[in-house]
Amino acid sequence: MKNNVYDNEFIPSIIKYGRITLFLGMLLALGPALILALHFGYMPPIGAIIAGTLAQMSVSGAFYVVEPISYFPILGIPGTYMAFLSGNLVNMRIPCAVAAQEAAGVKQGTNEGAIISTLGIAVSILINIAILSIAVFLGSSVLASLPAEVTRVLNLILPALFGAVFGQFAIQRPKLGVVAITIAGFMTFLLKQGFLSFLPGTPSYAVILVSVFGTIAAGKKIYGKELQGE
Amino acid sequence: MNYLEVANHPLMWTAAALAVGVVILQSIIFAKKSYKTGKDIGLTEQQMKSAMKTSAISSIGPSMVILAGMVSLIVTMGGPIAWMRLSFIGSVTYELMAAGFGADAMGVVLGKEGMTEVVFANGVWTMILGSMGWLLFTFLFTHKMDKLTKVLANGKKAMVPIISAGAMLGAFAYFNADRILGFDAGALACISGLVLMMIIVYIQKKKNITWLREWGLTIAMFGGMLIGSLI
Repeated sequence: MKNNVYDNEFIPSIIKYGRITLFLGMLLALGPALILALHFGYMPPIGAIIAGTLAQMSVSGAFYVVEPISYFPILGIPGTYMAFLSGNLVNMRIPCAVAAQEAAGVKQGTNEGAIISTLGIAVSILINIAILSIAVFLGSSVLASLPAEVTRVLNLILPALFGAVFGQFAIQRPKLGVVAITIAGFMTFLLKQGFLSFLPGTPSYAVILVSVFGTIAAGKKIYGKELQGE
Repeated sequence: MNYLEVANHPLMWTAAALAVGVVILQSIIFAKKSYKTGKDIGLTEQQMKSAMKTSAISSIGPSMVILAGMVSLIVTMGGPIAWMRLSFIGSVTYELMAAGFGADAMGVVLGKEGMTEVVFANGVWTMILGSMGWLLFTFLFTHKMDKLTKVLANGKKAMVPIISAGAMLGAFAYFNADRILGFDAGALACISGLVLMMIIVYIQKKKNITWLREWGLTIAMFGGMLIGSLI
């Protein structure tokens, strides 16, 4: 009964609104470019648009597929719709989702976990937009007057955040944490030494894929036996 | 620089606001539905409020990082585009790269001499079209991806949290390895954040301190930042 509400009502309506908002998002994203072309008359040659887009796609193309698939087990259906519309996945949406789950005392990968992470992601999106809006309306002059030292220190928040999120999960599943960092460390080493350069584009997508699905496979082996009894 | 007048035109603000509006709308719809369903499946109001509060606290640090990077985007692409693109799909690194490719396709260096309105427009097109792939893929396939998790879990529901944890550890192990192998201040910040968070989670599980649950991630990220800044 309890799960019926989640599977039969919540998820279908999330899929419906998720697809509607993504579709609207794709249309409205074009807004500024269309205003430039139709109102101001600044339309670049089609060839230049294609050249610029292709250059970007050669870097990002693989990530269009790799990122949604790799992060889906973390985000679930509602989280995927939200995170890919709003961006800033790994530096904000995922950390906020897991922090919210930790605070509510729910497990990732359960229905309760998905509800809590949806709430967490929604709040992080609204706060992020509020902060950006205040900043941009105050004007770039305020931001530009930040001393270089402050910017340097602020840029250290991100690596510290990555470490903290990893630590939060690793302490709960230490064996898997060691496996994960070993796989990822080896793959990153290969990437940095140029051993993956035979792959097209920016091969860090290969590192993400191997790290995520390698760790999942190891997790199934390590914890599969414990589950047999259940 | 003339093109910035166009870039900061009220109509550009309007177009950007519509796109940002969709993101806000989606968040509000999803949050409302989750809150209602959460009650139905037995989550307490206290749990959900604590989750939202924690997420709000944890958003401050990452937002400050985005702000620090936003300057470079405002000065090259104007306020509306910077505001829209950072609220919507993108990240600073991606957006600067895409705008750069767009300008480059017209033989101009982003924000430098020769940056006309048309070159600016090409940067905007490239940013938008270059990020369409993520939206298109999630639009087409998200509702089918549950099958992937089911296959990975061999159809066992108890296995799903392990799959999630594996994905989480795998992804963040890569981000950690990437930073740590830089052997710089970022590496020290990363390791410090990791150790601090482990200590915080350990203490919090032992003593069950509520505020530590809500502030833990923020303490670890700013603590790691401070330790990293020492070198």
